[in-house]
Amino acid sequence: MTDPTKLGIGELQILLRSRELSAKELLAAHMTRIDEVDDRVKAFLRRTTELATDQAAAADRAFESGQAGPLTGIPVAVKDVLCVRGVETTAGSQILRGFRPPYTGTAVSRMFAAGAVMLGVTNCDEFAMGSSTENSSYFPTHNPWSLDRVPGGSSGGSAAAVAAGEAVIALGTDTGGSIRQPAALCGVVGMKPTYGRVSRYGLIAFASSLDQIGPFARSVEDAAILLRAIAGHDPLDATCSDRPNDVQNDFDAGVSGMRLGVPREYYEIEGMEPGVKAAVEKALQALQGAGAELVDVNLPHTDYGLAAYYIIAPAECSSNLARFDGVRYGLSDQDAGNITDAYMQTRRQGFGTEVRRRVMLGTYALSSGYYDAYYVKAQKVRTLIKRDFDAAFAKCDAIVSATSPTVAFPIGAKTQDPLAMYLCDVLTYGGNLAGLPGISVPCGMSESLPVGLQILAPQWREDVALRIARAYEVASGVKAEVAPV
Amino acid sequence: MLARLGLEPGDEEFYAQQLSGILGHIDRLQELDTDDIPPTAQVVEVANTLRDDVPRPCLTQEEALANAPAAVDGFFRVPSIQEEA
Repeated sequence: MTDPTKLGIGELQILLRSRELSAKELLAAHMTRIDEVDDRVKAFLRRTTELATDQAAAADRAFESGQAGPLTGIPVAVKDVLCVRGVETTAGSQILRGFRPPYTGTAVSRMFAAGAVMLGVTNCDEFAMGSSTENSSYFPTHNPWSLDRVPGGSSGGSAAAVAAGEAVIALGTDTGGSIRQPAALCGVVGMKPTYGRVSRYGLIAFASSLDQIGPFARSVEDAAILLRAIAGHDPLDATCSDRPNDVQNDFDAGVSGMRLGVPREYYEIEGMEPGVKAAVEKALQALQGAGAELVDVNLPHTDYGLAAYYIIAPAECSSNLARFDGVRYGLSDQDAGNITDAYMQTRRQGFGTEVRRRVMLGTYALSSGYYDAYYVKAQKVRTLIKRDFDAAFAKCDAIVSATSPTVAFPIGAKTQDPLAMYLCDVLTYGGNLAGLPGISVPCGMSESLPVGLQILAPQWREDVALRIARAYEVASGVKAEVAPV
Repeated sequence: MLARLGLEPGDEEFYAQQLSGILGHIDRLQELDTDDIPPTAQVVEVANTLRDDVPRPCLTQEEALANAPAAVDGFFRVPSIQEEA
């Protein structure tokens, strides 16, 4: 039998249903793979072996009794920002060290209800703030394709785990590109759904008007299966829509006759590497060959996206992170003489440099006297960016571009220059500011490192993004592979 | 002070320099005329979602306090919030 850590959900379900492979054996194969490679990749912060063993046993019973669901027995990894009851969840931060959530969030609950087996908790930038996973307060994660390079971020552990064959699929979160960019840099599929498609209940909040939970996988189909399992209305998140869960409609319908928008601004972005541009242009040809029509569109406010994002996201984060005060959970300075000192000492010890930087920036932008000049201004520019997309989608079904202007960069290359790090996500901020679904799929290599193709669709049209991604995968023959770690 | 970050000596200079660079980039927002543009706080059509006011199960006191760094008699314990008179 083929090494099961190289297979996707469809192939595994055939083996599991025929009982040629048990969920217990599939779990053991992944635990062995993690044992072999994770001291080098460092995708996982914590293993949940007991939980996984119980879930695999339940999966085998489900197969025996014919009760199996779409993810039954499939080994998954979960980013360290999604609460799982009783499993230490820390958002990559020291301030939540030892925190064991008293409940499980909706996306994870639904994944479990669909039969998934949780291998462990994956590394990420502290509070999901970063583009390289180097802001984790624990350790950096290494790119499975080149161990001296970053996996991207903030969901770098989830992306690396799937790329290295340590997990079949994984959950991440995307506030400014934190699923799509690491997916691109690790050569896997990653999708940010429409804002409101997946419940955020049980997600440790960073920027509440931008955060979304989404899937990582090594094929478009597996990403679609996981998304469909976690999507849909949830009364526990007031921003979660009650629209039908239609994300996988017309999945195999192809792109013949579809119009794909090519925004000049995204191809001429500062810092675009020639190798990335060449891979994306080749992908456009493959899509054209499959019957799609390319149309020029404009996103004239692209150059203002980062600026608007770095007001809105820090403003929301400075508010959300006020709850970490050492009173109810996590790190706490118990020696302070009064409550103000206790807050100060707890937050000084618990927050890392990037988190402090963003809390300062956000507090400043929201402070009286600067509120209109920064926060309201950024919200108005958000309107302009959303209108850019509305106008573009009047002329096309989806927008295609690179996901990241660069391939994976060396560990340490950008840690001293926050603005350089922020520019990593210059092609993904727009999708969050406008609430759009976006997917990154592998589209070849540059300098022996993976390149990602980003497909952005109108709100609620995950079906369109997935259908195009699937058609590209079929037409090009480019498919995510397990990295040879 | 406002964000209770507990800065240390030397921090102010370090962050001031970095934040100046970031704010320098952000200042490009002022190039745009946004006088007639409404602000966007959230981007999807869901608005004012309310549920029926019906009691439902919630965490027990024990569960809510399970992660507390310090608890006493069913309360979270904190240092004094007032100076002694």
